[in-house]
Amino acid sequence: MRMPLGLAPEDRMVRVVEVRGGRGLIRRLSELGFLKGEWVRVLKSGPSGPALVEVKGSRIALGRGVLMRIIVECVPP
Amino acid sequence: MKEIEVALIGNPNVGKSLIFNNLTGGRAHVGNWPGKTVEKKEGRCIHKGVMMRIIDLPGVYSLTAASIDELIARNYIVEERPDVVVDIVDASNLERNLYLTLQLLELEANLVVALNKSDIAEGLRYEIDVKGLSELLGVPVVPTIATVKVGMEELKDAIVEASKRGVKARVRYREDIEELIEGIGDILRRDEGLIKKYPIRWLAIKIIEGDEEVMRLIEERGLMGELREVIG
Repeated sequence: MRMPLGLAPEDRMVRVVEVRGGRGLIRRLSELGFLKGEWVRVLKSGPSGPALVEVKGSRIALGRGVLMRIIVECVPP
Repeated sequence: MKEIEVALIGNPNVGKSLIFNNLTGGRAHVGNWPGKTVEKKEGRCIHKGVMMRIIDLPGVYSLTAASIDELIARNYIVEERPDVVVDIVDASNLERNLYLTLQLLELEANLVVALNKSDIAEGLRYEIDVKGLSELLGVPVVPTIATVKVGMEELKDAIVEASKRGVKARVRYREDIEELIEGIGDILRRDEGLIKKYPIRWLAIKIIEGDEEVMRLIEERGLMGELREVIG
């Protein structure tokens, strides 16, 4: 199932399928490791505010706006 | 005594501060970067008759001008041109870390790579071909375990060596990109002020990337018109 990273459940490996943003955002996120096909995991998230995400062995905090622009594929357990 | 300037750089959490402390014996002068609330640490280390001034740069994932930390690190390397830049890499997370390494090579920094957390990489059963990596990158690679001070002497040796040798590594791209870099470089080289201050090849690569900070510089220099003819 596809959803924005901001809605993905905690502690589940999900896969980035798309970053919906301009050149700048796509570039910045790719530098942080959010590339198409990359597996990431939400460590701590809530209904609002930033979330903590693990990507390529680093923990990175992302704001809500950015979280909603990263589209991930989430496989139901 | 011969004095050289050495900058430490790396991703966040690679053990940069630990290596800084190991090299300087923990005696550091702590201040801020001018005008920014980002800590600047400076220390000294004498090795084989060479006095090294060691500067700890902020932990960054890349050298785009995206955050204040990155801008400080990048401006320092571009403008101060330290004799040697030590890129501290997390051996247990090479893929992520080598991105910054490539950016440093593009910047034509005189690079030494410290392959830190070698013990953790080993624990994960990673076998890293250190010699192969060094050949591929074209720079010395020194395995280290900063927590127990393994590899520090070798690292200091490599720094002193590198300071004598100067830069020789560079990243080469596909032929058509190389041609473009050349074409842009020809225009940039007409501006003597630019040649003095920046590595021209690096500027050309950044222009192809559309880097905001560099584009602003080109605009200021009034080179935009001529450039448009090359990049279209």
